[in-house]
Amino acid sequence: MTSPVQVLVIGFDEPQFSGEALAELARLKDAGIVQLVDLLVVERTAGGELQTLPSPGVLGPGAGDIAVALLAESSEQPASPTRGDVNGFWSLAEAIPAGSMAVVALIEHLWAEPLAASVRKAGGRALEETWLALDDLDRLTQLRSDR
Amino acid sequence: MRLAPRQLQRSGMTGNVPYYGGRLAPAQAYAVGHTPPQPPQPPQPAESAEPPSRLATPANPQQTMTSLRQLRDDGLLSETEFTDLAARLST
Repeated sequence: MTSPVQVLVIGFDEPQFSGEALAELARLKDAGIVQLVDLLVVERTAGGELQTLPSPGVLGPGAGDIAVALLAESSEQPASPTRGDVNGFWSLAEAIPAGSMAVVALIEHLWAEPLAASVRKAGGRALEETWLALDDLDRLTQLRSDR
Repeated sequence: MRLAPRQLQRSGMTGNVPYYGGRLAPAQAYAVGHTPPQPPQPPQPAESAEPPSRLATPANPQQTMTSLRQLRDDGLLSETEFTDLAARLST
């Protein structure tokens, strides 16, 4: 796997798995744009403990296993030192508020691999990477319509 | 199943993004006042009239402290980060 993989953590009060989002991801996979690597449903108790919940049945057996192996400490390995006070690191514990539920999706951006490779080849390095906020999106839309 | 979250390094689509949240990363702030070691310079011919490389000049602690104060005053360093870096400078 060489394409960039995004970790998308989405909070829900009560997740409703209609299959609509998965159908869209399937369409994007068929188009060679993105691929859902794995999906994990987790709950963080009021006490702060994270618990995995059953993944949507449509994903089949083993769903969530890769995400757990990637995002959680292995019982066979010593726990990594806490680096929460060091910027540049993150964990599900910091992303998911206590007393809430979240879906964690590992999304491989197939379209981005050639772009990322060409940037690396050119010696480029990322200085900032973010998404535009809704207000800025509105402004962008206005700017584009004014052209 | 109980899940013990593991800490992962943040990254961007095209690689690690050192600048975060509108602030300098601690490593960047540290680098401001610490010139990385330079590779040994090849010997210059005796007749060379070129001045010595500025990069070979050791960091000036006073100037570095001034830079750190400037970063703090500009809000790029917190008081804690400033104190930490200033302490390292004096060691």
